[in-house]
Amino acid sequence: MQTLSSRWVGHGLYLVIMAALISGVYIAGQKINYTWHWERLWPYVINTEAQDIVAISDGTAVIDAKGTLSIAPDFGGDPQIVSEYDQLVAREGDLIFQGDTIARIEGWRFGPIAEGLWVTIKLSCLALIFSIVLGVLFGLMRVAQGQVWRNLAVTYVEVIRGTPLLVQIFIVYFFIGTVFDLDRFTAGVAALSIFTGAYVAEIVRAGIQSVSPGQMEAARSLGMNYTQAMIYVVMPQALKRTLPPLAGQFINLIKDSSLVSVISITDLTKAGREVVSGSFAPFEVWFTVAGLYLLVTGVLSWAIQRLEKRLAASD
Amino acid sequence: MTNTHLIQANGVNKVFPNGCHALKNVSLNINRGEVVVIIGPSGSGKSTFLRTLNQLESISAGDITIDGVDLTDKHTNINKVREEVGMVFQSFNLFPHKTALGNVMLAPVKVRRQAKAEAEQDARDLLYRVGLHDRIDSYPSRLSGGQQQRVAIARSLAMKPKVLLFDEPTSALDPEMVGEVLDVMKSLASDGMTMVVVTHEMGFAREVADRVVFMEDGELVFEETPERFFDSSHPRLQRFLGQVL
Repeated sequence: MQTLSSRWVGHGLYLVIMAALISGVYIAGQKINYTWHWERLWPYVINTEAQDIVAISDGTAVIDAKGTLSIAPDFGGDPQIVSEYDQLVAREGDLIFQGDTIARIEGWRFGPIAEGLWVTIKLSCLALIFSIVLGVLFGLMRVAQGQVWRNLAVTYVEVIRGTPLLVQIFIVYFFIGTVFDLDRFTAGVAALSIFTGAYVAEIVRAGIQSVSPGQMEAARSLGMNYTQAMIYVVMPQALKRTLPPLAGQFINLIKDSSLVSVISITDLTKAGREVVSGSFAPFEVWFTVAGLYLLVTGVLSWAIQRLEKRLAASD
Repeated sequence: MTNTHLIQANGVNKVFPNGCHALKNVSLNINRGEVVVIIGPSGSGKSTFLRTLNQLESISAGDITIDGVDLTDKHTNINKVREEVGMVFQSFNLFPHKTALGNVMLAPVKVRRQAKAEAEQDARDLLYRVGLHDRIDSYPSRLSGGQQQRVAIARSLAMKPKVLLFDEPTSALDPEMVGEVLDVMKSLASDGMTMVVVTHEMGFAREVADRVVFMEDGELVFEETPERFFDSSHPRLQRFLGQVL
């Protein structure tokens, strides 16, 4: 029972320390004379304010019996018809100029932070899939019989690991992107996939080499060819052992995705920078951005732990 | 009438890349249904020779023919040969991510393209035959060494091989588990399975073997029926037997 009670003491001590840390941060926040405006942040995440409906061209407002507003353009053409709105701004017979607010509509839409989060998730998921493909491919080449495959794989891994991701993003966007006419998003996914793929390749290689050579021999002695032995015997065992380092690598991938903001992809980090200049609430914005990154990495980490537990059935 | 031999090894030489000359002109013919036991001190090349028979080890010179198929021929599909030549390893080498049943079924389904239900029935029968019908769903990590080795034997049998190679099948086992594995091997021998066994179990050699082969320093020194083998006055054999018995 000694161990059980000492565990509870440990948990309690942990809570005390965390409470002290958090209140320290809070007091520090008070001391610097900063006015916290968490409410300013909200519209940048989910915007519930009424949206303005603006006139497309100059014209005259006409409201019919059903309440439908239409703007008959001064210089001919089809009228702009607005049938769904919550509040009318224009009145019957008003002269309207292009860009005037003619009505407002209630409802909500995602703000820049939510949209940035979505871009980060999309970017990370695509890069994750491609980096697994690249990593498994080059990891297998690294342990292949043919010298040419091994040389190619070593070159890929060393070149990519030896240069900074930021520089790679610039090269992929400005050089490869120009040659193949890639848009920003594709270039960002490509750079992240190629970068992470090199690390995944090393993890896969280590995983394969950690499986005892006897496993390959047993599989081959049963008449399996090299590919079958890899797919049915070696890789399933290697995968299980590589899951913990892979989890770390994929968490890095999500965090590294913040670097693509340098080629003007509006991911979570770039959205954060833009919102700071609009809301004048830098502390709130950056804490929120950090929290959202933590949420995404936390979900991934949890999912991989689940997978690990399922694969542990044969232990 | 050399064609009646299931395995013909002629002048087999093996030189490892590090220069070690592991096999020197080894020649051995094995008939269908015969049980040949290879004994010899460690480092004598007996395991290496066994491994050349399914080409887990390539040979430097000589030729090996199994059931009329020349293993050294470049056009021979070695995977097809290995389907017919089962092997049981000293360290079992069971697939740890598969249950006992999964281990036995894997190769028939993936290599022989046998239907799953049929392969499962065969696998159950084989596990019953090696006395493990109650451990079918166990993973290797939950089985004792003797049980693991019996699963490994069942796994090899599932491919319905023409010959089974045993590479010191009992050397990694605790003494009390040696018997159960040897019993399975004895019953296979009495069913007419062709077997080549590298072992230190002199009792098994004496009781089950049709022929016993003695190897030393990469050479096949001496081969005889067990009765004459153990009574032989061959000096190198006497020296070895004096050490182990």
